Formats: sequence, structure tokens, C-alpha cells
Amino acid sequence: MNPSLRWFALFGTLAILVAVPWIAPATWVQFGISTLMLATLAQSWSIIGGYTGYASFGGSVFYGLGSYGTAIAMIEYHLPFGVGLILGALVAVTFAVLIGLPVLRLRGHYFAIATLALAQVVPAIVSNLDIAGRNIGLILPLLRNDALFYESALGLLVITTLSIWYISRSRFGFGLMAIRENEDAAAAMGVNTTLYKTLAFAIAALFSALSGGIHAYWITYIDPGGEFDITLNVKMIIMAVFGGPGSVLGPIAGAFLLSGVSEILSFKISSVASLFFGLVIVIAVVLMPRGLADLWHRYKKLGLHYFSENIRENRV
Amino acid sequence: MVLLWQVLANGILLGGLYALMALGLALVWGVLNIVNLAHGAFIMLGAYVCYYLFTVFHVDPFAALPAAMVVLFVVGYSLQRNVLNLIIRAPMFNTLLLTFGFEVVLTNLAQMIFSADYRTINPSYAGANFNLFGATIPLARILAFTTGLLLTSCLWFFLLKARLGRAIRATAQNLIAARLYGVETRKIYAITFGLGAALAGAAGDLYGLVSQINPYIGGSLTAKSFAICIIGGLQNPLGVVVGGIFLGVVESLTALYLGPTYTDVASFGILVLVLVLRPTGLLGRTA
Repeated sequence: MNPSLRWFALFGTLAILVAVPWIAPATWVQFGISTLMLATLAQSWSIIGGYTGYASFGGSVFYGLGSYGTAIAMIEYHLPFGVGLILGALVAVTFAVLIGLPVLRLRGHYFAIATLALAQVVPAIVSNLDIAGRNIGLILPLLRNDALFYESALGLLVITTLSIWYISRSRFGFGLMAIRENEDAAAAMGVNTTLYKTLAFAIAALFSALSGGIHAYWITYIDPGGEFDITLNVKMIIMAVFGGPGSVLGPIAGAFLLSGVSEILSFKISSVASLFFGLVIVIAVVLMPRGLADLWHRYKKLGLHYFSENIRENRV
Repeated sequence: MVLLWQVLANGILLGGLYALMALGLALVWGVLNIVNLAHGAFIMLGAYVCYYLFTVFHVDPFAALPAAMVVLFVVGYSLQRNVLNLIIRAPMFNTLLLTFGFEVVLTNLAQMIFSADYRTINPSYAGANFNLFGATIPLARILAFTTGLLLTSCLWFFLLKARLGRAIRATAQNLIAARLYGVETRKIYAITFGLGAALAGAAGDLYGLVSQINPYIGGSLTAKSFAICIIGGLQNPLGVVVGGIFLGVVESLTALYLGPTYTDVASFGILVLVLVLRPTGLLGRTA
């Protein structure tokens, strides 16, 4: 595709996405909101997991903190939604910095597991707090305006993607990729690895928290099990990895494709939908381990050999 | 004082079972560098093997133990041989995702075949217990504890002495050197993964004896097994025993003193602390 055609396709898709609340039925809009949020989460995971190479399983923590922060600000202090959203994001970013400093010293599986443990600890603490409504949860003021929520979710996704696009071609982004490829070498070349990693973690937390805040106001009822849902981590990771982590548009493609497939399946044959989802993961990991973005670039040259090439590269 | 002793005894007995749960995960992690997210699902399958042998054929859960191990060995061996071996050299993330895919498939298959109902395995001695220095010890739990420790020491001797066990350790230490000495890595990988699954099957068999089962128990059991591996370290099977008993005792004590809603905070909080302060585990050598 030549560049002008590519821009045309990009803006065309964006225009269609913006128009969805006015042209599509209400169920589509609701499906759209949750898909856009998952896409934002996949994107924010891509910053820390894809570009920096730190496999975080803690995205749900920041999503939940953002959503609870927004809810508490609105209910306890009667602040407007916008202010609550910012406060929620602030809580999440502060937590990301404080927890990131010790946890980001761990590498590989160990980092993954420490964040997974955090994803279990934080909701357990929240469900013991009076201000957060303990296990029962919180009820937010009702606002029936799906179009507004849809457009805010879309806006957030666009902002997240633009930030990633900007990061990916900045000095900061190159520093993150250097950390992913070889952290010791990056440090030797003068990259302030602690600062870079913590910043990447905090940026990922920021976008997850904003997404959580919008979700809280949209869904109006939040509880620890729903907002700190651990499977959310797995979902965002699968979407990012399926799409191609460390590419600007890959995670979005992964989120839309996988959400779409799972929606169609659960509509047609609900019992085997999840089963099929699992099989898709297995097949995708074996045949296209670097995601859709890589398939897109190399399939044209290699054709069907692309798949056997991947297997040959990684088997014993 | 009696209460404290009772709680400690409960924790230690639970810990023996926890150790067996984590053992298979630690073996696969240490040798293949795969963190198997389907480990809990393997435990769940082992529990169902035990359940069906007991309810349909009236086989005692302890007699069903070898059957559960064999079934799970076959499952694990074929998964590694036909699927995992294809991507074993890919970045760590891909193996993690792949085993998560296994988890989803196995859990949903189990739900379709076994239904989502809670099941219990109730042999005649399920209610039997005896008194030990004032604490009530259920017979089934102490049997499960002993079996867990027995299997753990069997694995230790197997890895230490047996020819196959040494081949497994050699592969873990240096893949290329092991290959040069004629170790068939593809097979060793499959056998190791099969062994890990078989241990999960044994743990599941015993878990079904002391607790209710349903197709969804896998996720939290995987998380617990993780925590135990980290607390104990991956160097030797003894670490898993220490980690398991430690976690069991901590969970029981937190439930007593802070309340049952804090058990997850305590166990996973400790996990994070151990990771940050002593990444090689409580027993591990300091770097």
C-alpha cells in the first residue's frame, strides 16, 4: 500500500468508528465500548510488555484503582466525573511508581509473577476497606448516554495510540527497546534503566486507570471482583501478543479481531465459545508467534511457508 | 494454646498437599523454563479421575492415585511432544500464552463433560479423625500429607540417582552439552512435562479427598503453586516442601488472627516480599 492510501484507510476507519453510535444498533455500541476499552488496555500493556519487554500481569490493578478512585471521588466527595477520572489516574500512577521501584528490579518470570501476585493482593485489600464499600461494592450516579461513553472510550484509545506512536520514535522509546533487547547493555550505553522502566510502567498505569474510570461511570455498579478482574490481564496480554506487541497498531487489531470472534461465537454457540477461544490462542502462538503485525509484513513474501518457517525457528 | 496448636497442625497438614501441588510446576519450570499456567487444570483433571474411579468403580482414592498419575502423564507427554516442543525456543511469553490456552481448553472441556457442579469424594474414612496432643487430626488429611511427602522424596531420589533423572538434570543444566552426550532432548522434554503433569494428577487425587472440586478450581491452584515455588525456590524439591508448609501455616494463622478475608493478602503479600528481598527463595543461595 502506498502512503497516501494508507492514511486514507486509517482516517476512513477512524471516521466509521466515530460514527458508530449514530448508525449502528445499541448492542453494537455497547460491544464497541468494551472492545475499545480492551484495545486501550492492550495498548497500555504493549508499552511495558511489548516495548520494554517486562511482562506485566498487573494491568488490572491500575484499571481497578482508576475505577475505584473515580467512583470514590464522585460518591464520597461529590466531585464531577472529569475530576474524579484525573484523581483515579493519579492514584494509579502514584501506586505504579511506588510499587514499580522495587518490583521492576525483578526480571523475566519473576517480574511476571510479582505483578500477578499484586493483582491478587490489591483487590483483597480493597475488599476490606470501608470507603471502597468492602465486598459489596459502590454504586455511581446513573448516566444513560452510551454514545458519550463510546466517544470517550474511542478518544482515550486514540490518545493512547498517538502517545505510543510518539514514544516509539522518541529517544525514550529507543531506550525502552534497548532495555528489552539487553538491559545490561542499555545501562552500559547510558540509559537510565530504573527511570525509563518506572516511567513506562507509570504511563501504562495511566492509560489503564483512565480506561477503568470510564468503565466505572459507564457500568455504574463496581465491585472488587469485577474491576480488579484477573482474567483482564490475560485478555489484554493475549490481544497485544496476538496483534503484535511493540507495534503501534498491532494490539488494536488483536483486540478488535479477538473480541469480534469471541462475540460471534458466544452469540451462535455459547457453550463452546471459550473452548474455541483457547484453541485460537494455541494455534496462533504456534503458527504466528510474533503476532498479526509480523504476519502482515512477511506473509506477502513467504506465503504459506511463513507458518512452517516459524515452527522451524522455535522447535527443538 | 490448644487453638494455636490446632491451627498450626491444620496448616502443616495442608502444606504437605500444597508441596505436592507445586512440585510438578517447579520441575517443569526448572527444567524446561516453562511456567505452566495449565498446572491447576492438570490438578483438576487428576481430581476428576479420582472422582469417577471412586463413584463409578468404587476404587479407593489412594488406589486411584497411580491411575490419575498415568492418565495425566499421557496428557502431559502428548501436549509437550506435539505442541509445546514446537515453540520451546520462542520468547518466554509465547510458552506462557500457550499454556494459558491449554488451561482455557481443558477447563471448558471439563465443564462440558463433567458439568459445573461441585463434587465431593467421600470414602468411608472421610469423617475419621484422631487426637494428637489435643489437636484433632483428620485421617484423610494426614494420609494426604504423608503421600505428598513420600512422592516428593521419590522424585528427589529419581532426579538424583536414576539414569533418566540425571538426563533430565543434565538437560536443565546445559542443553547443548546434554545433546552432545546423546540425551534425546525432545523426548526428555516430553517426559519431564509428563512427569510434572503426573505429579499434578497425584495432587489432584489427594485434593479431591480433602476438598470440593469443580472445573474452575485450576486457576487459584496455579497461583498458589506459583507462590510456593517462589517462596521455596526452584533449586531442590525440599524447597517446595518448605514453601508449601510455610504457605499452609501462614494461611491458617492469618485466617485465625486477621480473619479469612485476609488470607490472600498475606500469602501473596509474602510472595511479593520474598521476590523483592530474596528472589532465589527462602532456602536459595544468595547471589
